[in-house]
Formats: sequence, structure tokens, C-alpha cells
Amino acid sequence: MHGMRGLSVFISDIRNCQNKEQERLRIDKELGNVRNRFKNEKGLTPYEKKKYVWKMLYIFMLGYDVDFGHMEAVSLISAPKYPEKQVGYIVTSCLLNENHDFLRLAINTVRNDIIGRNETFQCLALTMVGNIGGREFAESLAPDVQKLLLSSSCRPLVRKKAALCLLRLYRKNPDVVNVDGWADRMAQLLDERDLGVLTSSMSLLVALVSNNHEAYWSCLPKCVKILDRLARNQDVPQEYTYYGIPSPWLQVKTMRALQYFPTIEDPYTRRTLFEVLQRILMGTDVVKNVNKNNASHAVLFEALALVMHLDAEKEMMSQCVALLGKFIAVREPNIRYLGLENMTRMLMVTDVQDIIKRHQAQIITSLKDPDVSIRRRALDLLYGMCDVTNAKDIVEELLQYLSSADFTMREELSLKAAILAEKFAPDLSWYVDVILQLIDKAGDFISDDIWFRVVQFVTNNDDLQPYAAAKVKEYIDKPAVHETMVKVSAYILGEYSHLLARRPGCSPKEIFSILHEKLPTVSTTTIPILLSAYAKILMHTQPPDQELQSQIWAIFNKYESCIDAEIQQRAVEYLALCQKGAALTDILAEMPKFPERKSSLIKRAEYSEADTAEQSAIKLRAQQQTSNALVVTDQIPANGATSPVSVGQLSLVKVPSLVTTENDTSTDRALSQQNGASSKVDPQPPSADLLSDILGPLAIEGPPGATVQSEHNAVSGLEGDSDAVDGSAIVVVEEQTNTVQPIGNIDERFRALCLKDSGVLYEDPYIQIGIKAEWRGHHGRLVLFLGNKNTAPLISVQAIILPPAQLKVELSLVPDTIPPRAQVQCPLEVVNLRPSRDVAVLDFSYKFGTNMVNVKLRLPAVLNKFLQPIQVSAEEFFPQWRSLSGPPLKLQEVVRGVRPMPLPEMANLLSSFHIMICPGLDPNPNNLVASTTFYSESTRAMLCLVRIETDPADRTQLRMTLSSGDPTLTFELKEFIKEQLISIPTAPRSPAPSAAPPTAQPSPQIPPNDPAAILAGLLS
Amino acid sequence: MPVAASAIYFLNLRGDVLINRLYRDDVGGNMVDAFRMHIMQTKELGTCPVRQIGGCSFFYMRISNVYIVIVVSSNANVACAFKFVVEAVALFKSYFGGAFDEDAIRNNFVLIYELLDEIMDFGYPQNLSPEILKLYITQEGVRSPFSSKSSDKPVPNATLQVTGAVGWRREGLVYKKNEVFLDIVESVNLLMSSKGSVLRCDVTGKILMKCFLSGMPDLKLGLNDKIGLEKESQLKSRPAKSGKTIELDDVTFHQCVNLTRFNSEKTVSFVPPDGEFELMKYRITEGVNLPFRVLPTIKELGRTRMEVNVKVKSVFGAKMFALGVVIKIPVPKQTAKTSFQVTSGRAKYQASIDCLVWKIRKFPGQTEPTLSAEVELISTMAEKKSWTRPPIQMEFQVPMFTASGLRVRFLKVWEKSGYNTVEWVRYITKAGSYEIRC
Repeated sequence: MHGMRGLSVFISDIRNCQNKEQERLRIDKELGNVRNRFKNEKGLTPYEKKKYVWKMLYIFMLGYDVDFGHMEAVSLISAPKYPEKQVGYIVTSCLLNENHDFLRLAINTVRNDIIGRNETFQCLALTMVGNIGGREFAESLAPDVQKLLLSSSCRPLVRKKAALCLLRLYRKNPDVVNVDGWADRMAQLLDERDLGVLTSSMSLLVALVSNNHEAYWSCLPKCVKILDRLARNQDVPQEYTYYGIPSPWLQVKTMRALQYFPTIEDPYTRRTLFEVLQRILMGTDVVKNVNKNNASHAVLFEALALVMHLDAEKEMMSQCVALLGKFIAVREPNIRYLGLENMTRMLMVTDVQDIIKRHQAQIITSLKDPDVSIRRRALDLLYGMCDVTNAKDIVEELLQYLSSADFTMREELSLKAAILAEKFAPDLSWYVDVILQLIDKAGDFISDDIWFRVVQFVTNNDDLQPYAAAKVKEYIDKPAVHETMVKVSAYILGEYSHLLARRPGCSPKEIFSILHEKLPTVSTTTIPILLSAYAKILMHTQPPDQELQSQIWAIFNKYESCIDAEIQQRAVEYLALCQKGAALTDILAEMPKFPERKSSLIKRAEYSEADTAEQSAIKLRAQQQTSNALVVTDQIPANGATSPVSVGQLSLVKVPSLVTTENDTSTDRALSQQNGASSKVDPQPPSADLLSDILGPLAIEGPPGATVQSEHNAVSGLEGDSDAVDGSAIVVVEEQTNTVQPIGNIDERFRALCLKDSGVLYEDPYIQIGIKAEWRGHHGRLVLFLGNKNTAPLISVQAIILPPAQLKVELSLVPDTIPPRAQVQCPLEVVNLRPSRDVAVLDFSYKFGTNMVNVKLRLPAVLNKFLQPIQVSAEEFFPQWRSLSGPPLKLQEVVRGVRPMPLPEMANLLSSFHIMICPGLDPNPNNLVASTTFYSESTRAMLCLVRIETDPADRTQLRMTLSSGDPTLTFELKEFIKEQLISIPTAPRSPAPSAAPPTAQPSPQIPPNDPAAILAGLLS
Repeated sequence: MPVAASAIYFLNLRGDVLINRLYRDDVGGNMVDAFRMHIMQTKELGTCPVRQIGGCSFFYMRISNVYIVIVVSSNANVACAFKFVVEAVALFKSYFGGAFDEDAIRNNFVLIYELLDEIMDFGYPQNLSPEILKLYITQEGVRSPFSSKSSDKPVPNATLQVTGAVGWRREGLVYKKNEVFLDIVESVNLLMSSKGSVLRCDVTGKILMKCFLSGMPDLKLGLNDKIGLEKESQLKSRPAKSGKTIELDDVTFHQCVNLTRFNSEKTVSFVPPDGEFELMKYRITEGVNLPFRVLPTIKELGRTRMEVNVKVKSVFGAKMFALGVVIKIPVPKQTAKTSFQVTSGRAKYQASIDCLVWKIRKFPGQTEPTLSAEVELISTMAEKKSWTRPPIQMEFQVPMFTASGLRVRFLKVWEKSGYNTVEWVRYITKAGSYEIRC
């Protein structure tokens, strides 16, 4: 650039400009000049051309549009002299991008430079192609670049650039490496002694293996060798050490490349690699020098990532965590940040969570860090590491922190606290406590989702209702409460305050006055809730209180003319309903249970913006919800270590107090024991495979909590399974299927459940499956209670519903693992599509230790569950009966072989199927007339009429007539009742008369046809 | 009265604050930064003089190399604010003696602070009349520290000046030679299509006076405007002379003009302030005499060549001439080479404004000079951008010509002592935004 006076004058002119406007004027003038020069017919001397192209570049770099002169720049590339060629290459790579047509003109020249002898020109060309090379370059130049890269005669400088250039071309067109034996050549390249070439080649390798690691297995040992060489600091030239660290860039890249290989099989390589990693982990410490720190930490964190990827031994993991623990205690905020972030990443690796928990105190301190980004990381980490064992501590810590937290963080914080509380609540009352505290402390930051959720829980759990009501009353008694609290309180007190009525200070009147105090302070969205609460309080007041009634009516009166439509409507409607009197109780009945649904909170947390570390925390949560998918993909032996937390997010884990009260020392002891065990095993295995084989069953042993339990509670342990489990640590026991005997008769249990709505469906030594059902029209809601009776977790739990055609059954998520002594609830939604007697089957399997248990259970979602008794009067009955005449709507059958029973018993039996006996319709006392309503999606509500004519002489036969508006329904219901009458249902066994022998029945002699004839004459 | 300003800043072109004055507390101190960030450093600078940034309104105006920025946070009267700025600048100019630029501000900042305190109070504009302010803000600019006369001036009586019957004129003025100078200055705004049809045309004019009269003279001005003439003919009950009468719109008078007499008799009579002032302003939209016609033909020959032919015709009297005529013919940004042939004046290509600039120093009436130019363009990467063909712009001054045709019919001076006066009348027409599409 020497001697270009015009250029330096121009640059100094620009620099002397006082303001932007002057600069623009000067630039426009210069551009005009350049245009004029380029247009000159006589052409430009190379010197002039060079000068003006430099000016163009300068103007371009200042941010102005330069949309001409590309031709001149490209033509300079073919100039013979270095200065011109240089400017041509530089300006071309700055002004043009890979899609420019002009570049086509240059391809040939560039190729000539690359295959030419001049090293400098080769470098220029490679640099430009490496920067802006596109597909066309890739197609025409790749072989030449490859040749340069592999050539032994080239200087390292050129080969370095060739590697990077090839990387660019590969990115543009992955076909460039589709050459025979390229993988071998790549491996050869890694033998290179020159670190510069090696670093560039490693960049290339990283890109290659990220796409297809299969082809490059041969490179793996070489990578490890390189790492080994660097780590031992052998033969690393001075210029490639950075603050005493041998080429940190190469180290990082090599480790990155290694992470693309799923695993390392060769034991020698693996051991070498682990030695290197060990060295890195050991050798890194926090020092004064910032640059050195940066470099060594870059290496360290890549090593951590590799360790996580390779699923190293527990010892190494714990070493990593210990190192990170050291980091998060350092004063330097950057290091603390990195420590926390990487710990959050470490959470993805299953084994280390317990080790991380040891740093809980330090992490909690980081919540109070002055730096907000560190606080956020700490929050993420706490969120990620939370499980049943530490949920209480963490959530309480978060609650405490909430009052002092940054306003920007409060919303996130409260959301996370709410999610954790929901997911890991040891008992529901604690959950309610936490959420109420949350609302109390950070009302402004509580989204509606949070309080909706608590209301859902309270509504769905009967035993929680009085507690919740008492609790909210306590809160709302305070003088100043947040509006959200008023909302929750109004809802809960409205619904459940009558449960407290006997307690002092909880009379309806008092509750009302407490709520009403808040009315003037709330906004229009809350007033409707308050109004509903008033209406419900009024409804629950028994005996009716005139004073309260007049007060509440006055309020409704007042709001009848409210400008807000919602409030007005409610006021008007409630007032009208109140005056109806009795009807109120039905209309304002307790709210039905909510269908189980995915927590909207968690959905929100997933959608919310998240960076990588946070994502890993969220992902971790997501995985805990579904299964340990991570564990499977990463080929970590499926172990129970994650199990205590992997619970479907809907079902609350009711952990017995044993677990929650467990002290830390026992956990620690268990840990040290485990560590001891694994280190004992460590030196023995000759190969990594064996190691993992042995570790596999060891891990099945379960979480430390479980083992401790089995030790501590050996006495209380049910069957001594713990011994079996311990044994399995060393001996691989063959899988056994269904060796477990169920307790009780499955069949009987099923029959009982056909008549009852709750009870035990299945039980064996390990598990008890309870069921609780609610039916409403053609919808049913069943909850399966999977209770682990043991002190060790049940794993591989699977429940599949095999529904018959007429039922639509939706089973919510069943957790893969049931923690020890925990009960998991799995809600089940049933929809009856059409009438049929087929029964749904639950295919349930689990694994305990090595025992695989599989049972098939019928679900008591039978026809009669969708019946609803209805009382029909004579005026309604007869027209119906007449209108439905003859098959297929009306079917008649004489049933023989009926289990003899007296009429009242038969009536009982029918009403237990929800078929209502209508006495007095049939004049013959030996006949039964009954009616019911059947619900299904196809038939909707359908009235069914039944008439049974018994023969007092022969109790074993009867004539049954059934009619309904649907032929299938008529048939199915007839068959169903027939089955029930012929077979011997177990349910009636409980009432005393069921045992009565058939012969004991009195048998008055009445002509068999008589009653039928009478009724037939009457009806038809 | 509406608030005009919460704060006023004087900035140089780089955005440094030269002087600022906060009148109200409702704007923060970092307003200049906001202005610099959001207005000065963006392309919007100069496109819209009123901008709102974060709840504050910025009104700005560039005068030579100074930006005057007014910041308000309330709903202010924008016109009032701009009028205030214009008047303040006029005031400063009369204090510094002419120039108002960065250097003048730097040299007079004490005076400016003093004036700023005086001319606005809590955001409300106060008296901005230089004559009156000069009475009691006696410190003068650096221009004339030695030319100030000894203090033989009468003791200024500020109260009387503000409250008196004729607040704008001192009593007891004596001139040896009683003279009145009257200038009619008009600027023509025109937008013409390439075919020559007028799309928009109006004239804004003002009558400037310079009085050197003794005592308390009463002046009366007669113009050939329509209302005045009709009224006169009514009064004198004789038919209006058949001559051109001009219809004036939006007439604004100086405060010295007696409006009651104007309303009843339609004559402009007044007691003038001493020295220079603007007697009236007006606007004319009908019957404008355009001084120039421009006939452009611009041909684009392919992508890289253009032919430009422009003929300019002066349509005023042959005896008159225009001065300082500049015709700016826009060309595309990628113009590389130009060659010209002109019948008079000189032409060149200015890359910084992307125009061919044709200058004619003296342009006689009834002539038709032409310019023909060949423009060569350089080929560019972005072919899509078509050239928008901005209009040709023109600048000129034509002395002794009024585009409106307004004439002074008489200017009568009446004073108790009955001295003789000399009246001088001048006309001048300038180009406002004189644009011809091509």
C-alpha cells in the first residue's frame, strides 16, 4: 500500500470530517470520481485500478453501498503481481458473496493459482475460497484442494489453509469428501506432527464426524493419541502453547470431535482417554491470569462435556462435580457462572444428581449473588436438581428468596416454585401451603395458571378440602391481602367453607363478612368469584339465616345494575336462584372433579424462552415425566437412580414419611458405601464392556435411598426382597415372568367392583392396584392407584389398556418407575360409545428386581356403570311401553336356570345395577317392572324399560321383557341382566340372605302364564 | 397560552451541546443523548422536524451549522415552539449583528443565557422584540465592544415600553434626512409536470420596511390589491380603474398596523417602529406570473447512457434580468462521465448531490439558453433499482419583478411637523421550491 497517495489523502479526508454529513458528501464525491475513472475509455493502469479498488473497499467498510466495480476487483485477481492480486482477492471476498455471478468468472483464475507453484498465491486463493467459496467452487476445486492438503511437499502454511478451505467446501457441498478412502486419508492427516495443520484438520474432522461418524472410526484412536500427546505436553512447540497450556484450541476441537462418536469400544483407547481427561480435570485450577483461566476453562468444560458423553465411572463424575463445586464457590463471577451452567448440564447425566445435591447450600447462596445472570443459573440448577428428597428444602428456599428477589425474576421464580411444589409435594397439604405462601408473598407475579391449579387439586382431593379452606381463611383474615389470594380464598371458601362450619370463627356469617370486607378492594374480574362464593355460602347455611340472606340479597340487588356484564349476569341469576329455594342446592352443588390434564404450568415453562443450560433443566424435567429416554439412548444401563423423581407430572407421589424424614447422614453413608463398592470393582474388569456389565446390575440396585431403607427397615421390610436385590448386584439373575402370586381372587375382586365404585383391583406382594371410579352419563373417570408395597422401586412399569370397541379409554401417563413405598395415581378417562357387554382389559406389567410380572386385569367399566336409575310413573311408563312394540326394540325371552331368589332380593340385585324398580305399576306382585337410563355417545340418554315375570312355582325360570329405543341396547341389556341372573354374582354374597339355599324359597303355586297374561292384557 | 418548550438545546452538527436551558423539570437530563441516538444518527434526520421518542416530543430546526432542539413532554403547541425558535434566532442575529452559527454561539454564550432567561419563562414565550429587549439587556455582542456610544441614551423605561400606547416606538426620534425603504420580497413555489402543466403554484411574499423618520409619523400604504381598490372606488364612488388587481390571501400584519382602520377603510395605516421590520406577509395562489419555464427532455439510451436536454425560457420583461440562476438536473447515482454543451453559463456534475448543476450568473429576460449533456453510467450489480427521476430544481432571483404583480400605489407619510420624506421602493422575486418534473 506504499505510495498510494490518493488513498491516504482520501482516508485522512474522511477522518477529518466533522460530522456524518460531511463524510457522506466526501464519499459521494469520491464514488463519483471512481466511477468516472472506471468508465475511462483509455483504461486504467494496474496501479490506478489497485488504488481505486482499495478506495472502494474502504468506502464499503465504512458502511456505504458500493454496487459497482466488482468487475475491476475480480479482474485484479488475474494480475501477475502480488499487490494487485492481493487486493483483488481481498476485495472480492469482502464485496461479493458466494451466490454472485461474478465469482464464476474467477473460478478458473483461482484454480490456476491453487495448482500453481507460487505458495503465496495458493494461500490467497485458498483464503478467498475458504471465505466465500460456494457450490460451484466446491465442484471444481475440491480435488485440487484435497491434493494440496495431503501433499507432503507443501508447506504447513498452505496445508493449513487447504484444510480450512476444504471445510468450507464440505459445508457447501458434502459430496466433496465422497472419495474412496477419504476416511483413511483423514486418519493419516491426524498423524501430522505440525500442530497448525492438525488444528485445521481437526476442524474439518469435527464437521465430518458431526454428519457421519461411522466412516471415521479409524480416526478415533488418533484423536485420543493427539489428546494424549497434548496432555502430556510432549513435543508441543513453544508457539503452540498458550499460557503454558498446549494448544487449547486443538484440545477443545479434538474433544468435540470425540463427542460425536457414540462410545469408545477399544479398552486401551478408552483407558488412555480417561487418563487424559483425568489429567485435565486434575490439572485445572482457578488462577489469577484471566487469559490462562479462559483457555484452561475452555478445555476443562469441553472435557466435562466429553466425560458426560462417555458416561464415565461415577468416581470421575463425582470428581467433575467436585470441581464444579469448587468453581461455584469462587469469587470471580464468570467462573461461578460457568460452574453453575455446567452443573445444570451435568444434571442430564443420571448418576451425579446426588453428588450435586451436596452442593445445594452453595447453590442456594448463589441465588443471592449480585449478578443477575448467576442468580438465574442458580435458579435453573435448583429447579433441575429438585426431586422428592430435597423438594421441601428447595421450595422453601425459593419461597424465602422470593421476597428479596429481583422483580424481573419473580415471575419465573414463582412459576418454578409452583411447578416444583406441584411435582414433588410429599403431601398435598404441603403443596397447598406452598402455593398460598407464594400467592401471599408474590401476588403480583402469580399467573392465573398457578391458582387455577391449586383449585383443581383441592377440588379433586376430598380430604384436602377442609384443610385448604381453613388455610385460606387464615390468610384472608390478614388485613391486606393480594387480589389473587382473594380469588383463591373466595373460590375455596365458597365451595368448602361449610366443611369448617363447626370450627370457631368459621360460621357462614363470619366467613361471609371476611370475604365481603375484601369486595371494595378488588377489581371487576374478582367480583364475580366473590358473588359465586356468596351464593354458595348462602346455600350451605343450614338452618337458613335470615340476616345473612338479606345481606347477600342486598349485594346481589346492588350488582344487578352493574355495568360489567359478567357481574350483572351473575347477580341477576343468583338472586333469581336464591329465591327459588330448594332448587339452589342442585344448581349450586359442589363443583365436579376436574379432568386430569397436563399442568399448564409445565407447558408454560416449556414454552418460555430458555437458553441452553435452562433447556437442559427443562428437558430433564420433561424426561422425568415420560421415561428415562436419555438413559436408553446414551446406553447407560437402565438403572433406578433417577427413579425417585421420575413420576408422571400429574400424579402426586405420596411418599410415606419414612423417606421424607430420612436424615442426610444415612444418605451419605449409602453413597460412600456405593462408591466403595464401585471402586472395589473398578480394578478387576479387563475391558470396558465388562465394566458396564457389572455396573449395570449394580445400578439396578436402586437409588441410595432405597438401599438404605432396605437396610434400616429390614425388620419392617415385607418379604426380604432387599436381600434378593442385593444379591442381584453381583449375580445376574435370569428374568422370571409371573412368578408372583396374586393375593386374593382377581375374579371376585372384579365382580365386586362391577357393583362398587372403589376397591382393590389387584394385589400381589409387590404392588397393590386400587381403583376409584366416578360415572357421569356416558363419561367415566377412573383412577388407578398403583401402590408400591416395597422398599425398593418398581421399574419398567407399563400399563396398556386394551379397550373393547364400544369404549374409548384414555390412560394418562404411567410413570416408568414407582418409588419405594409410594403410591402413584393414574387417571383414566372412559367414554362409552355404544352399548355392548365387552370388557376393557388392563395389561399391566412391572419389574421388581429381575422379576418380570405381567397381569391382565379386566377393568370394571361394564355396561351397568352407564346406567342411571330413573323413577317412572305410570303415566310415563305405559305410553313408552306401548310405543316400543316388538323386536328388535322390544325383546322377550324366557330364561331358565336362574339362580332362585326371592323377589326383594332380585329387586336389590337390579337396583345394584342401577335399574330402578317401579313398584305398583304391575298389579301382579310376582312381577317386577323397572326402568333405567342408559348413556352412551351413540344413544345419548336412552330410557330402558324392564319387566320380569317370575313364576312363584318355579323360581329357576322367569320371563324377561326389555324395551328401549335402540335395538342393540335392548339386546345387550337383556343379555347382561340374563348373565347376572344366571351366574352367581358375588356382590349379593355380602348381604345375609344371599346364602339362603335355593330350596328354602317358598313356592306358592301360581300358574306360570298368568301374570304375564294379565300384564299383557293390560298393556297391549 | 400553551407551553412551547420544556428545554431548549443548541447542538452543533456532531451533536455536542453548545448551550442548553431547562425551563421545566418534566424532561430528563439525557434528552440530548436520545436526540443524538434516535434522530441525528439515523437517516430520518431532516425528514420530519417533529419526532416523539419515549414520551417526549422533539422539535428541531437546523440553522446554518446549529441544531436548535426543543424538548417538551406535555402536549405543546408546535407552531408556537417553531415560531419561538425563529424569533429567537432573529433576536440573536440582531444582537450579534448578522451571523448565527456555532462560533457566534460560542462567543456570546453569556449573552445567550441572559436572553434565554428573558424570552421564555417556565416554558411560556415572552417578549422577543429586539428593540425592546435591547433597551434593558444592554450588554452587546462581541462585535462592537468599542463602537458602543457613551451612555447618553435616555434611561430606558421598560414598563412604558411594554404598556404604553405605542409600545414599539420611542418618542423623540430625530433624523436629519427622513427616509423610508420598502421592499417587496416574494418567493415562488412551483411544481410543474414534464409536459409543462402547473401542478402546484403559489407565492409567499412579505413587505419589509426600514424607517428613518423623526417624531411620531403616521404612514399609509396603498397597494394594487383587490379589496383595497374596491373599497377605495366605493368611497370615492367612481369605477375602479381597469388594471390588474391582486387578491391577497392570509395577510398578516405587524402589530403596528391599525387594524380597526384596516377593517373599516381597508387601508394599511400605521405608526412604524424605528429601524427595520416586517410590515406584512401574504400569500397568492391565483394569477402567478412564472418567471421561468423549463422544458426538459431526458432520454435513457440503454443501461449506460443518458441524454439530457434542458431548455430554460425567461418570461419576464426583456429589460429585466435574473441573478444567480442555478438549475439542478438530477442524474442516477451510478453516473460516471458527463459532457456538456451549454449556450450560456457553466455546467458540471456534482457527485455529492447526484445532479448536473448548471449555473447562469446573469439571465436576461426573454431568452432561451439550452443545455445538452451526455451522461455515461457505470454498470452496477443491483440492476433492479430503477431510477426514480427526481424533479429538476431551480434557484434564482429576479429584481424589480413580482410574481404576483403586486405594486405599491402610494406610501403617504404624515407627521405633525410636516417634514418631507424620501420613499424608496424595491421589488424582488426569489425561487422557493421551484421544481419541474422530468
